[in-house]
Amino acid sequence: MTIENKKGWIFWFNPFKYGTDRWMYALHRLTGIVLGLYLMAHVWETSNILNGPVTWNKIMVDLDYPFGVHYGPYILSAILIAASYHALNGIRLTIVENGLLLPKPYRPEFPYKPKSLKGLNNVLKLAVAIFMLVICGIGIVFIFTGAIV
Amino acid sequence: MEGSDMQEIVLKGFGEVVKTITFRIRRYDPENKELPKYMEYKVPIQKGMTVLDSILYIKEHLDHSLAARYSCRMGICGSCGMIINGKEKLACQTQVLELGKNLIKVDPMGNYEITKDLVPDVSKLFRNHETVKPFIIREEEEPKSEFLQTPEQREEFAMFTDCILCGMCLSACPTSASDELYLGPQALAQGYRYIADNRDLGFNERLNALDSKHGVWRCHFSGACSEVCPKGVDPALAIQLLRQVLTTNVFVKFKQKGTTKAPERKSVSGVS
Ligand code: SF4
Ligand code: FES
Repeated sequence: MTIENKKGWIFWFNPFKYGTDRWMYALHRLTGIVLGLYLMAHVWETSNILNGPVTWNKIMVDLDYPFGVHYGPYILSAILIAASYHALNGIRLTIVENGLLLPKPYRPEFPYKPKSLKGLNNVLKLAVAIFMLVICGIGIVFIFTGAIV
Repeated sequence: MEGSDMQEIVLKGFGEVVKTITFRIRRYDPENKELPKYMEYKVPIQKGMTVLDSILYIKEHLDHSLAARYSCRMGICGSCGMIINGKEKLACQTQVLELGKNLIKVDPMGNYEITKDLVPDVSKLFRNHETVKPFIIREEEEPKSEFLQTPEQREEFAMFTDCILCGMCLSACPTSASDELYLGPQALAQGYRYIADNRDLGFNERLNALDSKHGVWRCHFSGACSEVCPKGVDPALAIQLLRQVLTTNVFVKFKQKGTTKAPERKSVSGVS
């Protein structure tokens, strides 16, 4: 009798021991799920405008002060970080998953470091990081101070 | 079962004993229906010993009931894939001392069923491999001469022919972890290997398997397969290139580059 040994979906979030791409995959999944939930909450939140200005204003304040503390800006910042990562990495994946900017088939040489995870793919990862820094930097300053840098 | 009296045993062919290392190995016995559990063994490690050597040491001197899959002991047969300290590795290619740990955790490969202890049932791997028709498909029944191929044409797929079917890429793949029917990096890479071969004419025959719900589009390029591949096959690269071929095929029908035929052979004996 054999026994099942599937790693299961929980393994999506276990990027340890593999490379950067595996980390980015785990983050992409995680931010995707977070954004999906956020989107539903967002639709519910804005639909409350149908209940009149009083409810709307109350909900706006409640969301800005969950548990009575002013967490609102932090939550928004987290959403911004997740969204910018998911969007930018999504662009990177669209490029490399169509085989673009990847190396041509090559002759593997010991110690067999895969080239598809390096080279221009790494440049794209760097670009994701830089754009994220810029977007999140401007965005977070705006969220907290209302100033546009 | 920690044979302290056994520790004097020194294997021939290896260097001096450096230190004793504990192996925590996941055991599963199909006969008593218990869940897998970990057992620890202390192995005196000599210079040059691989994880496979240590497992064989345990089997010979500490616990005969331990089962593992192996054959060539030199990274060619692809039988001894297992998860060593959390990462898929060929046991025969992993030097114990290079791991630099005093505790080594050995698990059977994931995403396969386990037959016993460290022995995975890899029939899924071979089934998936078969699905993509890993052979050159031609129209003629019996070729009369060779199909010519330039060195450049061969380079386009040569690296993917190095696969030894160890199956570690399926164990490392996060999609295989949740989708049982996913073809897996190994099969998809082999699919590309034959499509990229200019002698092959089987693109349309493979399309059904590759361009399917559990086929090439399930890959999310986490690169784990390429990371663990012991032969540098880089299956992730093959999958992305295959996707490029399939996406392009939507707009411009894929056409095999084709091959020129060598002049027909006349056998020396006159019987062809
Ligand atoms: S592609 Fe690499 S990891 Fe996957 S089965 Fe082949 S040799 Fe093993
Ligand atoms: S025993 Fe053959 S690859 Fe390890």
